[in-house]
Amino acid sequence: MHEDMRTLLNAFLDGELHGTRLQELKRHLASCESCRDELKDLRLVSGLLQADPLPEFMPAERFASNLTLSLPRRTSRDLPPKPGSMVWWLVPVGLLGAWFFVQTVFLLANWITAAQTTGLLGQAATWLGGGPQTLWFAAMTSFSGTHLGRLQNTLSLLNQLDIFGVNLLTGFLWQALIVLLYWGWLSVWWLRGRPRPMKNANAS
Amino acid sequence: MVQSQALEAETGLVEQAQHGDRNAFGELVLRHYPGVVQVVYRLCGDTALAEDMAQETFLRAWINLTSFHPQSSLRNWLYRIAVNAALDVLRRKPDETLEDEAAQMIIDHAAGPETVLIEKERAGQLHQAMRSLPEAARSVLVLREYGGLSYQEIASVLDVPVGTVMSRLNYARNRLRELLKAQLPQMENEYA
Repeated sequence: MHEDMRTLLNAFLDGELHGTRLQELKRHLASCESCRDELKDLRLVSGLLQADPLPEFMPAERFASNLTLSLPRRTSRDLPPKPGSMVWWLVPVGLLGAWFFVQTVFLLANWITAAQTTGLLGQAATWLGGGPQTLWFAAMTSFSGTHLGRLQNTLSLLNQLDIFGVNLLTGFLWQALIVLLYWGWLSVWWLRGRPRPMKNANAS
Repeated sequence: MVQSQALEAETGLVEQAQHGDRNAFGELVLRHYPGVVQVVYRLCGDTALAEDMAQETFLRAWINLTSFHPQSSLRNWLYRIAVNAALDVLRRKPDETLEDEAAQMIIDHAAGPETVLIEKERAGQLHQAMRSLPEAARSVLVLREYGGLSYQEIASVLDVPVGTVMSRLNYARNRLRELLKAQLPQMENEYA
């Protein structure tokens, strides 16, 4: 009991003791002379430390002006990205758009492939071209007519690159990549939004 | 009310400094230099070294300012950098802290040669006792006695549990109590 109370003397001295512990210690101090003596000594030690004079340091104004002159230049790379900026918010919008695009392409491709296989398209299947790879592209360009303009060129390029082939694994990988990028953005957004723990502030 | 306004103003200055505004950073330096230089001085016991460490602290703060969240306590963040900077230097140059003539000059201004002698002796013993403490215990004691931080803040600055802060502080004060036993009755008479 006595030893337990002794360990609380510093916290009591610093005003860091509250509630029942504080009441317990007060009761103990009323009956324990040795703890009262120790508390008195601790108070004197604290007083001794506080009474130790400080030397004269360089005036704050001079220190600050000297320091600001010697600060290294900050490049734009060091600047924090502004979470409120247009570019910042375009990232998730772009990713959602990409996900929507990929999803649409795969749905269309699968639908057309299935329709062609089962003969639902009949004669119409002939204008869709040869392999399944070009099905989605042919369908999109046919349905959209000539209004696609530059987008048509892009679609054509993607088609030639064979990146949206009718393949479940490829489709899954593309969607997984988009989801991962989106989670990455969310993590950065969350990390920037919460108070930084002091550990991260360790600049040593 | 006034405190929250000051905190708001400081948050604004931090944000400006984060975007490269040197004047805003200079204003922050003006505000926090006295606290930082005192903490590092109490850790190392040398005036010139303390000023160098304070400079090192603010340079590190400037370089890493973009990683600081403006809603956090800048003072605590700076203290953390200061303690780390001071401990880095002390580990590299442990002999740098033995004598500090500038600190003794302050005592010379006090009246009476006998008082001066007593004060010098007292300050010397105190500094010697402080230096004999392990770095971990000394850091906690300095942040509490001179930084005015709460146990929770010290725990956050040093990245240790509050219980560790309490045990280190117990150790530090009890050790000083043993080492300065001779001075305590004298202190008691002065307080009486």
